[in-house]
Amino acid sequence: MRKMVKQNSKLFIVASAAIVLVVIVWVVLGSHRNITQPISYNHKIHIEEAELTCVDCHLYVETMPTATIPNIEICQDCHSDEPMSDSPEEVKLLKYIEEGEKIPWQRIYAVPNHVYFSHRRHVTIGEIACSNCHGNVEELTEPPSYPLWLPTMENCISCHKEHKVTYDCLACHR
Amino acid sequence: MEIKRRDFLKLLSGASGAVALGTYGCSDIIDVPEKLIELAQKGPGIVTWTNTICGQCSAGCGIKIRRIDGIPVYIKGNPTYPVNRGGMCPSGHSSLEVLFNPDRVKEPLKRIGLKESGKWDSISWNDALQLIADKMIELRNVGKPHQVAFLDGSDQPGLMNKHIAQFMKAYGSPNYYQSGQLKNNTAPYRLLQGINQLPSYDLLNSKYILSFGSNFLEEGYSPIYYTKIYSHLRDSSEHGRTRIVQIDSRISLTAANADLWIPIRPGTYGALALGIAFVLIREKLFDDNFIKNYSFGFNDWTDNKGITHLGFRSNVISNYYPEQVSKITGVPAETILKIARDLGNSRSSVVLGDQGTVDNTNGTFSQMAVHSLNALLGNFGKDGGVYFVDLPPLADLPPFDEDEIAALGNSKKPVAQSLDTNYPLADFSIDSFTKNILNDDPYPIDILFLYKGNPLFKTLNHHDFAETLKKIPLVVSFDPFITETSEYADIILPDHTFLEKWDKFCNTPTVGFTHVGIQQPVIEPLFSTRNAADVIIELSNKIDQSVANALPFQSYENEIRFSVEKLYNSGEGAIISEGVKSSWLEYLQQRGWQIGRYNSFDEFWKLLTRNGGWWNPIRQTKDYKELFKTPSGKFEFYSQNFANIINKLIETTGGESPENREKVLHSLNISVRGDKVFLPHYEAVPIEENMPLYFITFKLLTNRDGQSSNQPMMQEMFGYTVREYWNSWVEINPETAQEYGIEDKKDVWIESPIGSIKVRARLNPGIMKEVVAVPFGLGHTSYGRYAKGYGTNPITILKNKYDMINGNPALQATKVKISLAT
Amino acid sequence: MPKWAMVIDLDKCTGCGDCMAACKLENNVAIVSPEQTEEGRVMFWMDMMSVYDGEYPHVKVKRIPKPCFHCDNPPCIKVCPVHATYINPEGLVGQIYHRCIGCRYCMAACPYTAKVFNWYEPEWAEEFKTCLNPDVSLRMKGVVEKCSFCAHRLQVVKEDADAEDREIMDGEYMPACSESCPADAIYFGDLENRESKVFKLSRSPRAFKELEGLGTEPKVIYLSKRE
Repeated sequence: MRKMVKQNSKLFIVASAAIVLVVIVWVVLGSHRNITQPISYNHKIHIEEAELTCVDCHLYVETMPTATIPNIEICQDCHSDEPMSDSPEEVKLLKYIEEGEKIPWQRIYAVPNHVYFSHRRHVTIGEIACSNCHGNVEELTEPPSYPLWLPTMENCISCHKEHKVTYDCLACHR
Repeated sequence: MEIKRRDFLKLLSGASGAVALGTYGCSDIIDVPEKLIELAQKGPGIVTWTNTICGQCSAGCGIKIRRIDGIPVYIKGNPTYPVNRGGMCPSGHSSLEVLFNPDRVKEPLKRIGLKESGKWDSISWNDALQLIADKMIELRNVGKPHQVAFLDGSDQPGLMNKHIAQFMKAYGSPNYYQSGQLKNNTAPYRLLQGINQLPSYDLLNSKYILSFGSNFLEEGYSPIYYTKIYSHLRDSSEHGRTRIVQIDSRISLTAANADLWIPIRPGTYGALALGIAFVLIREKLFDDNFIKNYSFGFNDWTDNKGITHLGFRSNVISNYYPEQVSKITGVPAETILKIARDLGNSRSSVVLGDQGTVDNTNGTFSQMAVHSLNALLGNFGKDGGVYFVDLPPLADLPPFDEDEIAALGNSKKPVAQSLDTNYPLADFSIDSFTKNILNDDPYPIDILFLYKGNPLFKTLNHHDFAETLKKIPLVVSFDPFITETSEYADIILPDHTFLEKWDKFCNTPTVGFTHVGIQQPVIEPLFSTRNAADVIIELSNKIDQSVANALPFQSYENEIRFSVEKLYNSGEGAIISEGVKSSWLEYLQQRGWQIGRYNSFDEFWKLLTRNGGWWNPIRQTKDYKELFKTPSGKFEFYSQNFANIINKLIETTGGESPENREKVLHSLNISVRGDKVFLPHYEAVPIEENMPLYFITFKLLTNRDGQSSNQPMMQEMFGYTVREYWNSWVEINPETAQEYGIEDKKDVWIESPIGSIKVRARLNPGIMKEVVAVPFGLGHTSYGRYAKGYGTNPITILKNKYDMINGNPALQATKVKISLAT
Repeated sequence: MPKWAMVIDLDKCTGCGDCMAACKLENNVAIVSPEQTEEGRVMFWMDMMSVYDGEYPHVKVKRIPKPCFHCDNPPCIKVCPVHATYINPEGLVGQIYHRCIGCRYCMAACPYTAKVFNWYEPEWAEEFKTCLNPDVSLRMKGVVEKCSFCAHRLQVVKEDADAEDREIMDGEYMPACSESCPADAIYFGDLENRESKVFKLSRSPRAFKELEGLGTEPKVIYLSKRE
């Protein structure tokens, strides 16, 4: 390979250009991975001080396929007119609530649409702890900026095999 | 039934002939509101179901809409709704393509330039309504409110027709018409029984069903209701098998599922019915007791002046012997004998007639002949017979005082009433309507409202009707789409689609029990559209206080609540609910029904809208007095009602004299004379001798009235039975095809005295040799990207002929010749 | 382990075509353009066959709904080079679109012509995309697709049953065609469950299978009185 490149400097230039391009793309994509949320939500404080549990806000995590990301309708149950803290993040939230505008949360965990994934199946029936896939969220003081665990088919299957549950194609593919 | 592998492979072979078709475009412009798309992509995915009534056709099936985060994504039948019991038809399943159709009218439109220019400008709701109200006020100020007409194409009994009628009456116009044929179709029952209603048939308890061209599984008022019944009849574990015999010129869906198909020449159904009556009478297979006690005019009779009149029996015996009938109908004499004997000997047997029988110039007389067979069998109020359903106890709209202007307007002669003697029993004749307006006779029409139905696409007098629409200075259409008809409108006030609006329907014709269905929005209106009913309330407020008083409701939804409150107070029937499925049969056997109890009207209303409807399955046993509201109080073979109508016509056109009588009968195109006129009899359909083939049309479940044509799924499925998609075809018997050198899938020209069309031939052994048939529904020249330019409209080559009595279009009265297109 | 099967009562079926429409709507099956339908590329997971019998005027027509037969011994899976089509333990013949390379061997092997091919990227007017069923993924150009017995419904039904710690009830898992049939002619259920309607009907003297001689052992069983 190296020999060939030496023989043809033109090819060498093309090849190195390609490598540079790949690096750039990787950097760009990588930076996209680091998602910044509109509000830097503090899971820790909500869990420890407000004594909330996951299901209090991710309403459907035990009963439906989608856990759902809470939005102003749920936040305003606690956060009304008066701020509870001096956090600038809460000010942002109250502004959303006041204007009746949805918080444009960015999703970081998603499966492709040809896959059936159900939280109820994993959380309620399979009794898998949230942290298995989402990590120690209760310790996070700001929202995760990238998925802790990628929901790839390989990852799914290895866990299914490990737990000796079905890995029939039609159990997930749709 | 063995199916060979090649049968499956046949399915694979695509059509060969390349046919030039229009382009199949996909819009890149997203017109659906942004927030909906976002919701569809990012919503939590919460599923809810809402019950409503399907609006694809007038059958009124209950449907359940699956909504994900409020967006409708799937439709299934409402399993508790008694009409369809969870069943659906293909059209119903494409309802979402109506709601999300890219060709919807998204805001009120005002036409620019000449009619049919196709150029539109948007106009605000307020400006549009003010413009119309101003014109209407102006007409009232000059004392001409009757010069406003309203054409309502919906064939569905419910609140909307009462709503419009109330508005028109308060405004002062006698010109509100339902252009559907429902009311016209009751003519035979008005004549024979004095009843202004279509009968229902107790097929479930019948052992022998003889259908004269009634395609009840496909073209009837409620095909899915009858499909459910058919399925019960075929459930081998329940009944002994009921035999279904279908008389039809081609194998329709009903004929395909019948035990026996009897091919018949179009337009001769009445003759066959009388031929069967001949056998029943001759072999004494009729119900003697019923005929003796409850019928009039069966035997020869003498009136109070001492004049002897011809009876049904003598007329049938001397004119309709099987050999003679066989010559007319093409049905072998031995077949006539056989079906008549089976009919007379089965307990019980019932006779139905529709489509083939009624869609002709002699439709009313033919249907009278068919219905007389039910009288011969004594089928009224009997298990397995014919019965009439009660109206639900709904509140009438509140009474109001019409002002002087309105009273004067209402006293004017309706513009659709024939000026001569034509169509004496027509509730609405499009022929008279068109002619009178074109001649300003008796007065011009200044404003025309159009609601549903797309009459221009369906009418036989296409050219004249288009001229009428051009002539009327202000045409207002409520269509949610730009149809052939609304191309001629000056203003389009887009209605909601049926998934966005409130409405109320009751008693789908021919369905066998009293019921009410509530249509309710399953999604917020996508565009700036308004319910036509609400627009009418708004208009009435803008016009005059006296008009507004007639519709004292905040909204149409309130009006519906008002009307069903009486239902709640009546204590009759029950809201449809779970668990009735098992009692389906029970009900049909006329067992009791527990009446629901509700603590308040609000509770009743909540349950009513949640479950989708109300019904009363108890069929009241009716006295013959209620069934026969004729002068004699009996079933009248000799229709005194008809005799009176004809006598009145004679009086108004110059008084009783043999010459005048002759003139009137001649102008009505009635060929017989004397007493025979008033008896069920066969009238030959006038046809061209030089045209060898009968030309008929039929409707499909995938299209119904031509109105599913703007839905791509239905366009693709259009001819699934013959594997023709997005395209029309002509059914030709293989022997006929051979005679004309026509091969399967080759294009042919069909030429009638009116014009010619080019259609692809499909050879089909299930059609009479002297008949060719083209399905109705395609061949749109407007109606959006999915409809325009696909297939052919067979109506365009039909002669402009109507039923001589009730003015319905004669769809089977044209003859044609065919040739291979080169 | 259940074995899912369908019984279609041809004596009840009128051939109204609702199963075809319900299926298209439920499974986001692409609408094929008029030009492409002329090439025979129309896509119906549930198709309708018309069989004519007899000489005029004694002609009989029977319409036969035809889904994928989910054979117990499916010829299609044997020819698939990439295991994109396979039979699962519950007897469902699956088609995994992301595996399919579009060689169409399976289409040739299927004696029932149950499979269809995406000749083009399926197109939808943007408006219609809003109302696509999110439970079923859209297929792409160059893959084969077919009736799945609405397996995506089974995913949900199974989960419901597991959440309530019970077996799936007879009639709980129904494909769209069976659910909507106005003639109640399409039964669906577990052939291993002796109490199920399909088990009982499959033993009916009216029961027969198409092309039984091929040994494909289809799990779509027809009922008909006509011979």
